Amino acid sequence: MKQENAERADPFVRIKRRRALYLLALLVLLAGTVFICILIGEIGPIGAIPGGDHISIGDAVNILLGESHQYSNIIWNIRVPRIFLAGFVGAGLAAAGMAMQAVFRNSMADPFIIGVSSGAAVGAAAVSLFGIGGMFMLFTQPILAFVGALVTVFVVYRLGTIKGHVYVDTLLLSGVAVAAFLGAITSFMIYVQQQQFHQLAHWLLGSLQSASWTEVEIIALPIIAGGIVIYLYGRELNVLLLGEEAAHNLGGNPESLKKIMLAVAAIMTSVAVAFTGIIGFVGLMVPHMMRLIVGSDHRLLAPASILGGAIFLIWADAISRSFVSLPVGVITALFGGPFFLFLLRSRRLRGEGK
Amino acid sequence: MVTERKQVMSPAVIVVIIVVAVAAAFGGGFAIGSITSASNQQHHPLTFVDDYNRTVSLEGYPQRIISVAPTPTEMLFAVGAGDLIVGIDMWSDYPAQTKNITKVGDFELNLEQIITLKPDLIVSGDLVPQTDLAILESNGIPYMIIADRNLNDVYRSIQLIGNVTDHATNASLLVKSMKERVGAVTNKTFAIGVSHPKVYLEYWPMFTFGPGSFGDDIIRLAGGANIGSIKDTEYPSVTDEFVVSQNPDIIVYTTGPSTTTNPTEIEARPGWNQTNAVSQSKIYSIDDNLVSRYGPRIIDGLEQLAAIIHPDLFT
Repeated sequence: MKQENAERADPFVRIKRRRALYLLALLVLLAGTVFICILIGEIGPIGAIPGGDHISIGDAVNILLGESHQYSNIIWNIRVPRIFLAGFVGAGLAAAGMAMQAVFRNSMADPFIIGVSSGAAVGAAAVSLFGIGGMFMLFTQPILAFVGALVTVFVVYRLGTIKGHVYVDTLLLSGVAVAAFLGAITSFMIYVQQQQFHQLAHWLLGSLQSASWTEVEIIALPIIAGGIVIYLYGRELNVLLLGEEAAHNLGGNPESLKKIMLAVAAIMTSVAVAFTGIIGFVGLMVPHMMRLIVGSDHRLLAPASILGGAIFLIWADAISRSFVSLPVGVITALFGGPFFLFLLRSRRLRGEGK
Repeated sequence: MVTERKQVMSPAVIVVIIVVAVAAAFGGGFAIGSITSASNQQHHPLTFVDDYNRTVSLEGYPQRIISVAPTPTEMLFAVGAGDLIVGIDMWSDYPAQTKNITKVGDFELNLEQIITLKPDLIVSGDLVPQTDLAILESNGIPYMIIADRNLNDVYRSIQLIGNVTDHATNASLLVKSMKERVGAVTNKTFAIGVSHPKVYLEYWPMFTFGPGSFGDDIIRLAGGANIGSIKDTEYPSVTDEFVVSQNPDIIVYTTGPSTTTNPTEIEARPGWNQTNAVSQSKIYSIDDNLVSRYGPRIIDGLEQLAAIIHPDLFT
């Protein structure tokens, strides 16, 4: 009797153990990433600018352990919040991207297809064009970008929803159309505003340079909450991949699931984009990369994407601020373009929901 | 076997909770941020207002200045405060002493490097991302912004920089001499009977200065009529038809490190050979920095333009 039970339980135990191992490995990788990237920066120890002031690895470790050093505020007020911001933004974009890929049942979906990026751009452009807030631009720009993004998502959602039923194909096309329209408006605003365009251009390129503890505090809650929600709906997302009819017949509730996922992804992405501008490819690539490693089961893919997204963006940002001076969005795209081509040619695309 | 999954919470409630949490986080985060940055209140003997109406407070006259835009750099050197500068951006290339000063970034500032240089004031133009400046301020480094739209703004900014760096007398002498030089030019160019030839001033292929820009202003002061002044924006692009139909008498293009324009190329543009300027070979060049950096050298640009437009009045 006992032996029978053991044999029946065995495959599940094995699977659960394997999942735990993957997540543990990712956690260790994240910890390692954070530690190494704290050591990367203009004053070193890794990637130091020649001729400038330099701190050694020993100094850096001491600062982290709490010792005060003349440059401890650089580590604690500039580098560490930046790494946290990169981690949260990467995690949020990856989780949102994964949710979008599940909702649209489309591998090319990323967190911006519902209009977040174009709406945020209009909001940010409006701030510099109309001089909203003047010197409080530092507050009003993220707020208006956030509002612009959410309003746009709501409009796209309304366009793609008829009588409470979310039609994902219509939603997708509405997203594309609204993004094109808002893109034209943003271009017009850029053309008209002249002097202040430089502040906007900086935001459009996407950058983690503005990182501070305030931003980390603001962004932590939505990302963590959203990530938890997406994880909790992991099983439902699995079922959604089979198609909405099948999901319904199996006892799920695809309508409310789609709405929740859209809302959560929209909020996470809007908060991220409001502060950092538009960083592409993370939301698109990281879920795919994780899928290749851990499989398509969303209960594992969700935490894996979250951790993987954090690791990916922390590294991309560390590279962009030390070894090359390119915006982080360029780094992710440089890596993302070829990878995307690889994905297109890969066999796995043809077998959605392995 | 898939079992019926009990909903943890109604989906609408979850979304509402998240939205409320985000709003609270935004508000709380900003409140926390502003409290910590406001806790550094000390006695500030030197207080002034910059071009963005920001009140800046310093402990005293700054001794270690970092200038992150070319125009403030030129202003600082012009009032005699060049020796106080410990860091500049990579575009600050005038005067020659700038070669030996540490470069702290181009479009993005190297925040860590700037902090290690221990500046007590950062002087910026308005093209630098203000988020970078805000981070430096939250690390205890005050900044001021120079943003000029016309010549009176330039005089005011130069005087402000002079006051802030304890070179007020130098600054007012410089401003006085700048005004005198402008007066010397306009006495001749605004005199009765002096013609105002049509001028096309190009700062980039097919881009010119429109109304409200410095270029437009100095063309007028130099005794020319800017054909771009009828356009709508400050730095408009132009078409071949526009230039040809306006028929400028004089064409001036700016030169800089990445210039590819030359007189032959301009003459080859379709239809341009019908213009007065091309048919009389009145195509000239001017250093880009003299018409785009709104500092002391804008007067140099004015004088050079005046000599180009009215060679008979200015030897």
